[in-house]
Amino acid sequence: VSASFSSPSTAATRLAPRAVDLEHFVRERQARWSRLESLLNEVDRLPERAVGAQRLLELVRLYRQTCADLNEARAYTANPQLLGRLNQLAGRGYRFVYRRSHARPTWAALRELLAREIPAAFRRERLVVLAAAAAFVVGVAVGAGAVLADPLNAERLIPAEFFTESPHERVERIEQEPERIDSTEDAAAFGTFLFSHNIQVSLLVFSLGALTLVGGIAMLFYNGVILGAVAATYVLDGVPAFFFAWVGPHGALEIPAIIFGGAAGLRLGCALLLPGGLSTATSLRRAFPSVWRMLLGTAIVLVIAGLVEGSFSQFSARIFPYPLKIGVAAVLFVLLLAALFLRRREPEAAP
Amino acid sequence: VRSWRGRQILTPEHVEIELLPAGLGSRFLAFVVDLTLVLAVSSLSGQLLVSLLPGGFGMVVYGILWLGLQWGYHVFFEVRYAGVSPGKRAVGLRVVDGRGLPLSLEQSFVRNALRAVDALPVGYAVGAVACLFERYGRRLGDVVADTLVVRDARFGVFDRRMAGGRAFNSLRTPRLLRLIRHRVSLEEREFLGAVCLRAPELEDRARFDLMDEVGRFYRDRLEIEDTHLSGENLVRGLAGVLFAERSTPRARLESS
Repeated sequence: VSASFSSPSTAATRLAPRAVDLEHFVRERQARWSRLESLLNEVDRLPERAVGAQRLLELVRLYRQTCADLNEARAYTANPQLLGRLNQLAGRGYRFVYRRSHARPTWAALRELLAREIPAAFRRERLVVLAAAAAFVVGVAVGAGAVLADPLNAERLIPAEFFTESPHERVERIEQEPERIDSTEDAAAFGTFLFSHNIQVSLLVFSLGALTLVGGIAMLFYNGVILGAVAATYVLDGVPAFFFAWVGPHGALEIPAIIFGGAAGLRLGCALLLPGGLSTATSLRRAFPSVWRMLLGTAIVLVIAGLVEGSFSQFSARIFPYPLKIGVAAVLFVLLLAALFLRRREPEAAP
Repeated sequence: VRSWRGRQILTPEHVEIELLPAGLGSRFLAFVVDLTLVLAVSSLSGQLLVSLLPGGFGMVVYGILWLGLQWGYHVFFEVRYAGVSPGKRAVGLRVVDGRGLPLSLEQSFVRNALRAVDALPVGYAVGAVACLFERYGRRLGDVVADTLVVRDARFGVFDRRMAGGRAFNSLRTPRLLRLIRHRVSLEEREFLGAVCLRAPELEDRARFDLMDEVGRFYRDRLEIEDTHLSGENLVRGLAGVLFAERSTPRARLESS
């Protein structure tokens, strides 16, 4: 009667060729699995340089053994607990053994990122930046053209909440009333609100571009139309200088920043939706280095723009005359473009 | 509740590892924990900064800090702690690269930037809907960054004593053992083991129905003629035969 289920069978069977005592299998190897788990728990919390050669070698050895155990266990059983645990251990081991090594974050690396890598990313992706800028500029032209052709279009294009008073009245009111911002607290609070809000908007434009391409272009175009229409109403009402002095100083940074955010989205959207001959995963991974640097650059520019908008932009002509404000706007715009797009001397290659 | 397909990774050791996507509920829970932490830290530091630093300076620092916390919190933990933020640790989740590796700084940046869309219009509605339709149950940010939130909880200890251990088993006959070898697959053996392991958790009525159904199936499959055997006894007996320990003393086997 020794012909039990676990005896070796000769014919082709649907069970494992040599039925294995799973309890024995587990008992024999449980110790190494637990050891691997505790090692992985340790190194998860450690910086890379603190791992140490001894621990590393043991971890790699245990990881390989566990991989073999997983393959073996799959042949013997479909037990969800056992396979789940081994699968998880092998996965964690794989993540540790084959990960990219992290460079230690240093101040030098941060300076390098800000001074060289972000501008380089923008220069590398200048085509999408141009495309995003074109969508925006076409929007401005369409908006302005529509209003100049027929002033009634302004009411159709510009959201109703901006239509409380005519540009002319608004200019008079703002230039007569006491200053809106009369303390640094107000300026700081308003600026902070503005850059938080603008970063949200840029991220939305970025995300829509990344997901749909068309959505990003449409958002840029729509924002352009509104700006163009508003500008045209001020021009028609005979107060263009007010508009440019009021919007210019921060707009010179804010508008490019939104275009940059949109461009980063378009770059990612191209990688996601038009991967060409590459797999989507590969084409996305090629886009990431440029995209995250462009996003970071966008956020930094928006913080600066928000602070300018909260303070300098809000002062009336009695304190800062229009020419000064428009001049500052031009200088900021040129500085921004020069910082990002002017080719710099490459650092000397190490001998 | 639907379960999503796992993603298969082939390691250089030629072992297939499966990445098991986490469900919506656990991810939302983890997010709520993280959000609470961010709000607590930022409101506390906000009070401090605004009252300590002169003029509007505290406000600006606080604004930048709030931005940094809101967007940098997830990036920091995902990169520094291999995809585990405090909330995810509490719930037992981990963000990994779509290829099974730790996610990189740039991936973390992108997946968190797309929260701007996923969080629309309120409470991550867009992200939740995307999860329902995506193959691996990912929100849009994870799709674009090619990352995956996986379950990282501890698995229960392997224990199958409850399934086996029937010293006297009328099913252990040479004829039935031969039929089992030919007609019961590996998966079915595990299924029967799982039924026995979970039976105590079932309600009496449900357990009876389940056992009856499974028993009827195997009664036909294995041509068992003993009509007096109840479904439950048949299933438990079969499981006992299937999981009989090799180390069982021969005397015990022979006595049956």
